[in-house]
Amino acid sequence: MNLLERTRSVLTTARQVYQDTTHDTRLSELADRLDEPLRVAIAGRVKAGKSTLLNALVGDRLAPTDAGECTRIITWYQDGHTYQVTAHPTGEAPRQLRFNRDQTAIEVDLAGLSPEKITRLTITWPSQALRTATLIDTPGIGSLSEQVARRAFELLAPEDEETPADAVLYLLRHLHRNDLDFLRAFHDTEVSQPNPVNAIGVLSRADEIGVGRLDSVASARRIAGKMATDPNVRRVVQTVVPVAGLLAETAATLTEAEVAHLRKVAALPVSDAESLLLSADRFAELMPALGLTSIEREALLGRFGLFGIRLVASLVRHGVATTATELAAELTDRSGISELREVLNTLFFQRRDVLKSRSALLALDRLTRTEPRPGSEAVATEVEEIIASAHPFRELRILSAIRAGWVDGKSDVVAELERLIGGGGAATHQRLGLPADADHATLTSAASEALARWQRRAESPLTSHELAVAARVAIRSCEGMLATLRESR
Amino acid sequence: MAMAADKPSADPIAQATAVVDLGLRACQAYGREDLAERLTVARRTLADPSIHIVVVGEFKQGKSSLVNALVGAKACPVDDDVATAVPTYLRHGDKPSAELLFEGDPPQREPIALNEVRRWVVEQDPTGLAAGAGGAAVAVAEQQRRPAGVEVRLPRTLLAGGLVLVDTPGVGGLGSTHSTASLAAASMADALLFVTDASQELTRSELDFLARARQMCPTVVCVQTKTDFYPAWRKVKALNEGHLAAAGVEIPIIAVSSALRSRAVAGNDRGMNEESGFPALVSFITDRVRGGATGRLAAEAAAGVAAVCEQIASQFEAERAALADPAAAARVVEQLSGVKTRVEALKSAAARWSQTLSDGIADLTSDVDHDLRGRIRDVITEADKAIEDVDPADTWPEMQSWLEQVVAAEMLANYTLLRDRATELSEQVGQHFQEASGEVLRQFAVTNPTPLATSIEVDHNIELDKMKVGKQAMVALKAAYGGAIMFVMLGVMTGFTLGPLALGIGVVMGRKGLKDEKKRQIATRQTQAKNAVRRYCDQVSFVMGKDSRDTLRRIQRELRDHYTALADQLNRSNAEALRSASEATNRTQTERDRRLQNLTAELDRLRQLRQRAEAVANR
Repeated sequence: MNLLERTRSVLTTARQVYQDTTHDTRLSELADRLDEPLRVAIAGRVKAGKSTLLNALVGDRLAPTDAGECTRIITWYQDGHTYQVTAHPTGEAPRQLRFNRDQTAIEVDLAGLSPEKITRLTITWPSQALRTATLIDTPGIGSLSEQVARRAFELLAPEDEETPADAVLYLLRHLHRNDLDFLRAFHDTEVSQPNPVNAIGVLSRADEIGVGRLDSVASARRIAGKMATDPNVRRVVQTVVPVAGLLAETAATLTEAEVAHLRKVAALPVSDAESLLLSADRFAELMPALGLTSIEREALLGRFGLFGIRLVASLVRHGVATTATELAAELTDRSGISELREVLNTLFFQRRDVLKSRSALLALDRLTRTEPRPGSEAVATEVEEIIASAHPFRELRILSAIRAGWVDGKSDVVAELERLIGGGGAATHQRLGLPADADHATLTSAASEALARWQRRAESPLTSHELAVAARVAIRSCEGMLATLRESR
Repeated sequence: MAMAADKPSADPIAQATAVVDLGLRACQAYGREDLAERLTVARRTLADPSIHIVVVGEFKQGKSSLVNALVGAKACPVDDDVATAVPTYLRHGDKPSAELLFEGDPPQREPIALNEVRRWVVEQDPTGLAAGAGGAAVAVAEQQRRPAGVEVRLPRTLLAGGLVLVDTPGVGGLGSTHSTASLAAASMADALLFVTDASQELTRSELDFLARARQMCPTVVCVQTKTDFYPAWRKVKALNEGHLAAAGVEIPIIAVSSALRSRAVAGNDRGMNEESGFPALVSFITDRVRGGATGRLAAEAAAGVAAVCEQIASQFEAERAALADPAAAARVVEQLSGVKTRVEALKSAAARWSQTLSDGIADLTSDVDHDLRGRIRDVITEADKAIEDVDPADTWPEMQSWLEQVVAAEMLANYTLLRDRATELSEQVGQHFQEASGEVLRQFAVTNPTPLATSIEVDHNIELDKMKVGKQAMVALKAAYGGAIMFVMLGVMTGFTLGPLALGIGVVMGRKGLKDEKKRQIATRQTQAKNAVRRYCDQVSFVMGKDSRDTLRRIQRELRDHYTALADQLNRSNAEALRSASEATNRTQTERDRRLQNLTAELDRLRQLRQRAEAVANR
């Protein structure tokens, strides 16, 4: 019986135990949630670029963005058959709201409801991207409005419920104390110690790192790489990926008209262009001969940012990309969004079952502890048994122990251990550190070698207790890989 | 005395210097070297006023770029990633040079080449990956010898006149220990430039910092940087003005672009300089900050001159009274003898000001100590509660920084108490001294029947001297906390650590045992953690307690010396007057007439000088 099935079965038992109580509906929701797409929350400090990144991931301009603080209500973006916006006011039944989709975002008419009174908005939008994950946009922490900041905390680290999100994309602007505190709050202590399993760090607004120099993104990549090796960061997120959200959002929604406007800038003599692009104010006001109205110029600034305009002008001038399609591809490439998608895929989507079961089991565990009733003890025991014995959870536990620095050993040994138990992705080739196109024989021999190596390590008297325990988990992971490989032959 | 006052100079420092020079010449002419000493100190401060402007802000907001753009040189290293680690002090020098400052009293200095500044100022790569094993060892050795600051001297007109720009590290965020240390530094600075970039509105921690800084520092300005890069900077500025107004914090916002300014300076482009927004910032610094600080300094120096004039004049008045009416001479001598006892009483330990001082310091010492203990006790209670709620192994690294932060905040509050109360006490002591010495001075006045005496506005003088009163305590405090090393407090804090927590974590894999074993281990760790917190707090309060006792003792010594010296001067003035008055009785009528003429002339000069000094002081 695999993990998802075990979780489902314990949920069924629990539903029988809690039949005819107020918790019945919640349990059925939990069961439904197991089959829904993964819920990924996008969190971070105020103005970290959360809504922009959400738009970039969806590939459409849905969430409104602005220079000031903008998102004040937690908003769920989920796939569906129809376009629909639902408000969930605190303590009242959900109700549908009217909305208006203009060029730049979905504009919701709150129909007199005050934002403080709305627990969340659900926007149902038919979209390919939302089919794999429901995205949750959150108000920033460190926001000047107390209510808004508390909202984000409640969503990600509620005191007495399971977290509504299965995983979190955490937007970091450059590492800041608050960021780490917040992430820690999101991590539970039950399934394992603070847990980098369900969080990925995103170094957002990567184009601003060098204040608009053309090598900004390279600089951001270096910084993200360094952050990902920082022990304090490793304890809370799996990895850190740099993303220039604005660039990615614009690339996904680039229009021919915009490209035509930017071609005019690229056609200027180099020194004129440089002088014009020295500052945003200059671009908005100088050189009337350019043939762009101030409204068009401001629109370009809003869409590309000064960095984007400089970049596109340079790309067009050097003939790297000239058409809208080529430019869109080039900008997507440079924005780092593809890398983020890849990381999301390996670290979240491939682990969907584990993350889903984890959310459900955590909720059950809390329910049985806070609301005991005849029969709930058996449910609790079963939950604990799954948490303690299911191999994927053991892997997660060892993974966070390694991340927390509790497993001593030579660094290359620990690195291999981390990889084997799925620290760099759950697929077999990723665990073995082989390229994605490695053939069956190579994979099998690599897995057998790893198995033998870790058996030796587990039995060696020189191995520390912690490493030996971890080694036994690694052995089980290797056996699992070999079994899968045999089946697939 | 050449009267250069006919063409008044706009610069208060120059005016004050001229007045002080005249005062010094007067002291020499009348053989009062004791009074000259006081003016010499004032003269030295005027020559090198050292007006500190501290630049603070969050991590990566462009503080170093701002400082560079202000002085038009790459004095502070700028990088996308690594940040400033030690404060850089930029001051005026005839040619560019740099020195490392190491902690000590006085701070040790070590000259370095300008291109080496970067190596000392930026954070060392903690991983040491880039340097390899050998490089890492060197880095560690250097780490241990980390300077407390770097001083860079540049020949720039902006810095002339004693302006010192301090670029601070922005690490750790505004809620951290570091910002508390910055606040402590700011309380000693003449102005604070708070840097925030135009990418977003002020965050709550920034706003909190600004509100507290406003209370600690006389002049605060919020500088919004990177306006070249963010198209919406005007909107962000407007939002920030709204936030500040809503929080009731009155701080102006100046929007600038360091990139444009640097380019403008390099290309000598006046138009672009206007565009960069820097002219507003520069005029703020030169007019409001330097103008304010130099005005204060000039007023203090001039007040010193006025006080000196008064002492010398009173001596002459007595002599003149004795000369003008030989019959009254005996009475004058008698009275002056009476004054002598009073002045001597002023010097003795039984004098009221002296008692106020020693009692006050004793009270203050115990109050400050009590306050610190109370605060530390609260911190421990809070820490215990926090430890009981969680598994300390989860939160230990955060615990350390949390504790540092909370303790630093409490220390700052404790230090603010010390500062405020010490200033209060010093004012009180000054007042008591003033009352007693004022009586003495009035004694001169009473014996003097001539109309000249009435023109001396005694009341006014008390005002002037009171201004000096508060300053004494600040001088002592600056010696303790301010000056070259502004981050002493941070040094005190980072000396201690909580130490590692023995985790004893087996990665338990059993089924039922998991929870019980966890519980047991957590309990053990909680006890350990609580003990570690107590140890830490003990160490910190020990050092802090000693530090504040020392500071108070220094304040006491400073004030005692100051007023004893004043009493000595009064005594000397009185003795001179007594001598001249006694001599007067023995003179012939011709001698007397000549001397009277001389005295009238001298008194007239003194009166003029005094009026001039008062004019400068009351500007």
